[in-house]
Amino acid sequence: MARYIARRLLWMIPVLFFISVITFGLAHALPGGPFDREKPLPAEVIANLEKYYGLDKPVYQQYIDYVGRIVTRFDFGPSYRARGRTVNDIFRDHLPISAQLGLLALALSVGIGVPLGIVAALKQNTFWDYLGMAVAIFGVSVPNIVMGPLLIWIFALKLGWFPVAGWGTPSQMVMPAMALGLSNSALIARLTRASMLQVIREDYIRTARAKGLTERAVMIRHALKNAFIPVATILGPLFAVLVTGTFVVEQIFAIPGMGKYFITSITNRDYPVVVGAILLYAVFLVLANLAVDITYAFLDPRIRYT
Amino acid sequence: MFGKRFAWLLTLVLVLATILSACKPAEKLATVINLNLGTEPPTLDPQLATDTTSVQCDELLFLGLTDFDEKTMEVIPELATEWSVSDDGLTWTFKLRKDVYWVHWDPATAKAEKKRLVNAYDVEYAVKRCLDPATASDYAYVLYIIKNGLQVNTGEITDLNEVGVKAVDEWTVQFTLEKPAGYFPGIAGMWVCRPTPKEVHDQFGDKWTEPGNIWTNGPYCLDTWEHENKMVMKKNPFYYGAKDVTIETINWAMVVEESTAFAMYEAGELDVCGVPSADLDRVRADATLSKELYIAPILCTYYYGFNTTKPPFDNPKVRQAFSLAIDRQRLIDTVLKGGQKPAKTFACPGIFGSPAEDPNFPDIIFDPAKAKALLAEAGYPDGKGLPDITLMFNTSEGHKRIAEFIQSSWKENLGVEVKLANQEWAVYLKTVHGPDTPQIYRLGWCADYPDENNWVLEVFHPTLGSNDPKWSGPAAEEFARLTEEAAATSDPAKRKELYFKAEKILCVDEAVIAPIYYYTRVVCTKPYVERGYAPLGGEHIDRWKVKAH
Repeated sequence: MARYIARRLLWMIPVLFFISVITFGLAHALPGGPFDREKPLPAEVIANLEKYYGLDKPVYQQYIDYVGRIVTRFDFGPSYRARGRTVNDIFRDHLPISAQLGLLALALSVGIGVPLGIVAALKQNTFWDYLGMAVAIFGVSVPNIVMGPLLIWIFALKLGWFPVAGWGTPSQMVMPAMALGLSNSALIARLTRASMLQVIREDYIRTARAKGLTERAVMIRHALKNAFIPVATILGPLFAVLVTGTFVVEQIFAIPGMGKYFITSITNRDYPVVVGAILLYAVFLVLANLAVDITYAFLDPRIRYT
Repeated sequence: MFGKRFAWLLTLVLVLATILSACKPAEKLATVINLNLGTEPPTLDPQLATDTTSVQCDELLFLGLTDFDEKTMEVIPELATEWSVSDDGLTWTFKLRKDVYWVHWDPATAKAEKKRLVNAYDVEYAVKRCLDPATASDYAYVLYIIKNGLQVNTGEITDLNEVGVKAVDEWTVQFTLEKPAGYFPGIAGMWVCRPTPKEVHDQFGDKWTEPGNIWTNGPYCLDTWEHENKMVMKKNPFYYGAKDVTIETINWAMVVEESTAFAMYEAGELDVCGVPSADLDRVRADATLSKELYIAPILCTYYYGFNTTKPPFDNPKVRQAFSLAIDRQRLIDTVLKGGQKPAKTFACPGIFGSPAEDPNFPDIIFDPAKAKALLAEAGYPDGKGLPDITLMFNTSEGHKRIAEFIQSSWKENLGVEVKLANQEWAVYLKTVHGPDTPQIYRLGWCADYPDENNWVLEVFHPTLGSNDPKWSGPAAEEFARLTEEAAATSDPAKRKELYFKAEKILCVDEAVIAPIYYYTRVVCTKPYVERGYAPLGGEHIDRWKVKAH
C-alpha cells in the first residue's frame, strides 16, 4: 500500500507539470491582457507595468521563471489585480476559510445524505422513502444561487437567527454551510439509497441473514460498508470542489474564500492567480482521489493495491 | 422685606428658566458606523490606486494638497493652505499646513503614535515616486503635465530630480509644468500626488500598507484589513480637525453582491447601502425604505461611440440620425429607473467647463422625424441601402437591456435593423481600444478630476486621447485645437467658451458619440446618519454624524 501511495504521489509531478503548461498557455492565449482598462492606459504606462511583472519577456521565458520560482522558493508569483499581494498570500489567507466552510458543508452533506438514503432504502416504497426522496429531489433541484438568498430571507431577515453575511463567527458559518451542504446531501442521499437497494439484494447479505445475524448487524457490518463505495467515489471530487471554494456561495454570503479567485482571476487575466488556483485544485483533486482509492480498500477487503 | 426677597427670587428663577430653556441638550451621537466598501480595495497605496474603492480608502487615510467642495466641486485647500501661479502659468507654488502629522496606529494596543510632521519633501517624494517607471503606476500619465513627467516615466530621462517638482523649503512645494494648465490645482489634489512616507516604503516595500506598518495623515488610521472580508478604520487623534470628527470607528464590509448588501442594510447590519435595481420598485413602494432612499448624481456618463471610419458611420448625418432616434428619457423611465438624467454632452453636470446645464447648448432631443430626414439626406431613406450594423457591448445583463431598448428604438424610429453582439470584458476592451473598433460600442467615463480636460481632451483628442472612434479630418482638428487651447488657458470664462464649442462638435455637429445618460447612485441611508454626497467619490465620512439610535 505504501508503495502504491508513493507511486501515486510521484505521478502528481508530471500531472501538475502538464496542467501548468496547458493553463499557462491558455491563459496567455486569451485575448485581452491584465492591464486593459475601460480608461485605456497609455502605451508607456502599460510598458512599465509589463516590465514590473516580467510580462515583457517571451511567454516561454515567463513560464520558466514561473516554474522556477515555485520549485526554488515555493513562490507562485504576484497578483496583478492587487498590488503587493501574492498568490501565496491569497492561498494563505483564503484557502483555510474555504476549507473550513467546505469541510463543514461536506460533514453536513454526509451527515444528512447517508442516513436519509439508508432510511429510504430500508423503508422502500413507504412514506419515509417518498419523503426522503422528495427532500432529496428538492435539494438537488434548487441551485445555490436560489438556496442562498432563500436562507438569507428566512433565517436572517424573517427570523433574525443569523447574520446576513460575512465571515468570522460561528453564526456566520451556518447558512453558507447549509446552502452548500443541502444540495450535496440530496445527491448523496439518492446515491446511498440506490446503492443500498442494490447491496441488500446481494447473495452475501442473504447468507449473513441465514447465519442468524441480527438485521442491525447485517446492515451495519455488511451492507452499509459496500453500499458506501459509490458514495465514497463522489466524495473525492466533492471534497476538492468544496474545500477549494465555491464562487456562488462565497459571493452570496460575502465569504473571503478561494472561490472567487477561480472565476475572477480569469476575467482579470491575472495569470499567476489563474495558474496557481488551477494547480491548487488539481492537487486537491489528486489527493482526494487517492484518499478515495485508499478508502475502497478499507470498505471492500477484496480490493488490494500493490 | 419678604416681598422684595420674593421678587428677587422670582426674577432669578425666571432668568435661570429662560437660560436653561434656551440651551438645547447636547445632541447624543454614536461613534461607530457600518458601511460597505463593495469589494476588496486592490491597494491602499495612493500612488498605485486606480479604482473608486481604493480612492475611497485613501480619501480617509491620506490628505491631498487640495480637495473638492462636495456641492460646488470647486478646488478647496486641504494639506495646502494656499497656492499661486506664475504669470506664464507654468509654475505653481503650494504652501503647506504645519500641523499635519504622520501617524502610526498599532492595532495590537489600539494606540496612535505621532511620528513626524508631513512636509513638502513628502509631496516631492510622492510625485517623483508616482512617475518613477520602477513604481509602474497606472495613473502616472495624469502627471505628464509636470515638466519631464513623460520623459521620466518612459525612462528617457533616468534622473528623477529632473521632474518638475521641488520642495522649496519644508512648507513650500513648487511644480513646474510642461505647459499652462488651469486645471492643475485639481490634479495636485488627486490621490497620486498625496504624500506617502518614504521611510515606511523603504522598510516594508509592497507591504507598507498593511495594518501595523502603515503611517497615515488623514482623519483616520488603519486598524484592521482582513483581505476580502473587512476593514476597520479608527479616528486619528492627531488629525488637525479631530475635534470635529465624531465617528471614531468605521467598519467596512466588503460585500460584492448588491442584494446581499441590501439584505444586510434591511437587517440593520449596514447603515448605508446602494439599492440594487431589482429592488428599486419595492423600495419606492415601502413606507420606511422610501424615506431613506436618495438619488444623487455622480460624475459619470454612459455613451455609445461610433467608429467614424466604418460605413455608414463615416457619415456624420447617419451618426446624428442614430443619436436623435434614441428616446433617452423613456430608456431611463422604463429600463434604468434610477433617476438618471438624459445626456446631451459628454462631460456631465458638475464638471468644470461642461455645458451640460447650459440652456444655450443644443439639446439632443428625441426627434424621430428629424432623425429620419437626416438618414434620408445621408442616402439611406427609411434605412434602405444601409450595410449590416452591429452594436457591441460587454457581457452584462444591464448593458444588454439598454442595447435591446436602443435597438428597438432604431428599428421603430429609423426602420433600421441593428445586430447586437457582446464580448467578455477583457476581450471587449481589446476590441474597442484596438484597431477594429465596432461600428457602435458602449462605454462609460467617470471623472478623475472634475474638469473638462479629463473628458474631451483625454478621451477624444485625435492624438492625445484614446480616440476609440478613430476620428480625423478638419472637424477633429478643430476639436483638438479647441481642447488644447482650453487646457492651456487660465481664464475660466474663456475655457468654458472653448469647451462649449468642443462639446458641440463632439456630440452635436459631428455626433462622434451619442451620450446616453448621466449616472446617478441610488442609496439608502438610515435616518440616524447625517451625511454628505461626494459626486466625485471618496466620501468624507469624517464630516458625517451618526445620531444615537
